[in-house]
Amino acid sequence: MAEDDEASEPGASADVGGADAPDRRERLLNLLAALLESRAGLTRDDIVTNPTLGYPPGASAARRAFERDKATLRAMGVPLNGAGDGDTRYRVDPKEYYLTNLEFSDDELAALHVAVTAIGLGNSAGEGALMKLGGIEGTGSMPIAELPFVDVLAPLFEASRRRSVVSFWYRDTIREFEPWGLTSKFGNWYVVGLDHGIDAMRVYRADRINGEITTGSPNAFTVPGDFRADTYLEDRPWDYGEGRATDVVIRVDPGFEAAFAQAVGPGAVVDHADDGTTTVTVRAVELRALVNLVLGFLDHVEIVEPAAAREIIVGELEAWSR
Amino acid sequence: MSRTDAPPQLERVLAMIPWLATHRDVAKTEVAERFRVSVDQLEADLALIMMVGVPPYSPGDYINVTYDGDTVDLWLAPYFTRPLQLSPAEGLSLLAGGRALLAVDGSDPTGPLATAIEKLEDALGVSGVTVEFTTPPFLSEVRAAATAGVRIDIEYWSGGRDELTTRTIEPGPPFFALGEWYTDAFCVLRDDARMFRVDRIRSVRPTDVTFTPVAPRSGAAVYHPRPTDPRVTIELPPHASWVAESAPSEAVEDLADGYQRVVIAVSERAWLERILLQVGPEARVVDPPEWQTVGVDAADRVLARYRA
Repeated sequence: MAEDDEASEPGASADVGGADAPDRRERLLNLLAALLESRAGLTRDDIVTNPTLGYPPGASAARRAFERDKATLRAMGVPLNGAGDGDTRYRVDPKEYYLTNLEFSDDELAALHVAVTAIGLGNSAGEGALMKLGGIEGTGSMPIAELPFVDVLAPLFEASRRRSVVSFWYRDTIREFEPWGLTSKFGNWYVVGLDHGIDAMRVYRADRINGEITTGSPNAFTVPGDFRADTYLEDRPWDYGEGRATDVVIRVDPGFEAAFAQAVGPGAVVDHADDGTTTVTVRAVELRALVNLVLGFLDHVEIVEPAAAREIIVGELEAWSR
Repeated sequence: MSRTDAPPQLERVLAMIPWLATHRDVAKTEVAERFRVSVDQLEADLALIMMVGVPPYSPGDYINVTYDGDTVDLWLAPYFTRPLQLSPAEGLSLLAGGRALLAVDGSDPTGPLATAIEKLEDALGVSGVTVEFTTPPFLSEVRAAATAGVRIDIEYWSGGRDELTTRTIEPGPPFFALGEWYTDAFCVLRDDARMFRVDRIRSVRPTDVTFTPVAPRSGAAVYHPRPTDPRVTIELPPHASWVAESAPSEAVEDLADGYQRVVIAVSERAWLERILLQVGPEARVVDPPEWQTVGVDAADRVLARYRA
């Protein structure tokens, strides 16, 4: 996006001109209007030499000011086509610029306002969207939940929308990935899709993606109509792995039954014995994952059987004394 | 609205023009409220709109706007007839906010929010954004008590002290932050405000006492490390980077061998015990010295159950 060394521009006021020249905001609005109106496109010379747009005198100053205006419009999300040398024709395609008419009712706008104020995403983009949809309708809501965005979500969302393959660093590996969808579960954001490197569906946690997202050309893949991102999240990591499922019997102390039952999920079988003890039976493929959960309950929970699972937890605990 | 060097005024004006063009002769106060500006700022925006005209100018290239009195009238806008398309962050924010609110139990799955989100998904060509919250067992009971203003008796497991206590509280509306549901409640026992994690509530029994329901604080208030909480320095192996992300770590330093050194405010020892046992003995408590055996001591205590 950065096409010029605008950082080295010697002060923004240099291109504003004298008191009777239109200021930069006017120039940006009029430039945008001219680019939207032009069917054939406008060259840089067409633009900077048009006296009514008010570019500063001098080819170099005018060129710098124009580069800065281009960058500003693009950063606002204006689809400004054209890049390169002096012969390039610049234009803004109205079909790309104008928002699709969504025809929201006042009730729907008010409901979106409630959603934007109830759910804290850590930015004001939702309010910006409401402005474009016709301003803020209704009174909004008190905050109900916080699901803060991380920076990679917007480019991943755009790539998902355009069906563009992305690549990014994750756990020291570059992943080439078809982003099929985004999902937030229990407070974290994930991207779900097909990983080209392993040719399998994968889920990556957005806040662990390192650095920039590189986006390829659009329409590079298709997403099945019945795809739902949330079905790919591993609720219970002990469900996944090589090998066969084993029933693990776990004794849970009084006071911890509800928390443990919630942690292992609805598939577990809970038995309350007459003597007040509770046992929970969990079917697990990956015993180590289940052992890790049990460790979080300290000495309030004990694996009863099978012996293999007891050996794993005893081994992990004894490792502390080696 | 977004991170650009464009004055927010420019983005607002581009959104305002099409709305004004379809709402003739409207009160300045209404426009100002709708676009979240003062009337003075609105007049500055309108002055800017008045300067728009495609060069070379001819009659009809300008947007016509009058705003002398208490009203605004804008007509014959030959361009900017529709707002600028939504940016990715804006589209995602609407979808995510909408999907999230629909995921909160009690939302109307067929109401105006649901229909708005469907329209938005159609227009953006996406359907792959989903949101799911945890649903602790007593969330709806706490929410009902907070809404009705009914004092409740609860059994509460204090994770930090690792003990079950009985409390009488006046719960605030539950809110979700840092991956958990919280209620900002008045604790009768402590005679003070206390934050409770809803998933640690083990039972709820309504009482006959009522109170005036209050609005919740924002989620940012959930975690307050007290200045007096011990600060513990831990070195964590690469596979335990989730600790620094999910715990209230105050300083994170990358070490040469892929380890991270984090400083964490630890209000209660049992909390640290759980983290250490889950990570394993590669986790090393560096400081303070008297906390260096927390992991091995906890492991021994748990092992006692298996050797009994």
